[in-house]
Amino acid sequence: MKTPLISEGSEPSTDELALFLSRYSAWLLGAGATCMRLEKNVSRIAGAFGRRVEVTITPRHIHLSLWTEGEPGAMTTIASAIHKGISFNLNTELSKLSWEIADGKIDFVEAAARFRDYTMNDSQNKWFVLIAVSCANASFCRLFGGDLTAMAIVFIATLAGYYLKMLMSGHGADTRLMAVACSFVSSVLGASGQLFGLGTTPDVAIGTSVLYLVPGIPFINSFSDMLYRYYLCAFSRFMDALILTCCLSLGLCAGMLLMNAGMF
Amino acid sequence: MEITGQIFQDALFAAIAAIGFAAISRPPRSAYLYCALIAAAGHSLRFILTNTLPFVNILPASLTAAFTIGVLAVLVSAKAKFPAETCLFPALLPMIPGIYAYRTFGGLALCVLAQSQADFSKYLTLFAYNGIMCSGILLCLVLGATLPIFIFKKISFQATR
Repeated sequence: MKTPLISEGSEPSTDELALFLSRYSAWLLGAGATCMRLEKNVSRIAGAFGRRVEVTITPRHIHLSLWTEGEPGAMTTIASAIHKGISFNLNTELSKLSWEIADGKIDFVEAAARFRDYTMNDSQNKWFVLIAVSCANASFCRLFGGDLTAMAIVFIATLAGYYLKMLMSGHGADTRLMAVACSFVSSVLGASGQLFGLGTTPDVAIGTSVLYLVPGIPFINSFSDMLYRYYLCAFSRFMDALILTCCLSLGLCAGMLLMNAGMF
Repeated sequence: MEITGQIFQDALFAAIAAIGFAAISRPPRSAYLYCALIAAAGHSLRFILTNTLPFVNILPASLTAAFTIGVLAVLVSAKAKFPAETCLFPALLPMIPGIYAYRTFGGLALCVLAQSQADFSKYLTLFAYNGIMCSGILLCLVLGATLPIFIFKKISFQATR
């Protein structure tokens, strides 16, 4: 039997560890970790406490069974994924936490305290994100051959669209509704170049004005899960991303119809 | 000289795009610089391949660029102590075929609204072409970027140790 790497005084019971791992995996899945990373991290923590674990990851839930080798009985938990937006910072901190536990640097009590701290304090300056996303989309416009006028239009269109997204997100609006509304606003503003005859590439401005809404990370995650044969999660993530792309296209088409702008 | 300037411009705007899109997915602060550098390297490599080699189209160019991004992200992750995905995914985002994706759905919408069979055929062709290109590029990007994580599995999953 594997020797536990933590101090004896803070040895958690199987129930305590199962509940901790359940919450840990729910946050990690919601933060956008791949299924492979989630399974490795959870197994690493369980192994550090001399336990074994089997994890079933479904798109909305995580089913986890924890037991001690050679002993009868197992603790089984089911947790809903906690979707608070993709966060690579949380992903990084939780992965580091798993290694610190596995290497015996911290005990269970300390690990639980740090876990609470990481999940409670994972925030970012929203105004920085707003400006950064607007600059990024304007740069994207340049990469697709847009001129300076088109870049300026895309910057403003993204600024307005992303600000609306922040407002709607604050009110707990549905992500699909947000995609339709934000892409509509951005495409209407993006079409101003064509409407007023500004610049030489107004078509690029319209096309790129909504690209900040393309769910790139879920698309990449879905293919990554597929390569590791987590087909159920791969399909679910792909469908989520596809539906969001449909929604943003719907808003875009509505905006272009309103502004009488051509797509092709 | 002109192509050098274009390559530099491509790298610069890809780096800005990577920083901005990375911000949406809340990376650690130290990751921004790495995301920018890796995205600049990958995107400019794709630019060089598609603009200087006439026989290379966007699919193999995307695969090569994504593989380069993947290798760089794995190497950086071991040094910077964060998971490879932290740099890898934001650096890939400037290469996500967003234009193809929106044209796919635009083509589909225009198919529905088409008034004649000729218009319908035209938009169906655009829908199919853009859909196939979008899926192909996406697959190349993810395959290319994920392969280094497979190859250097030990480095990838021990980076945060």
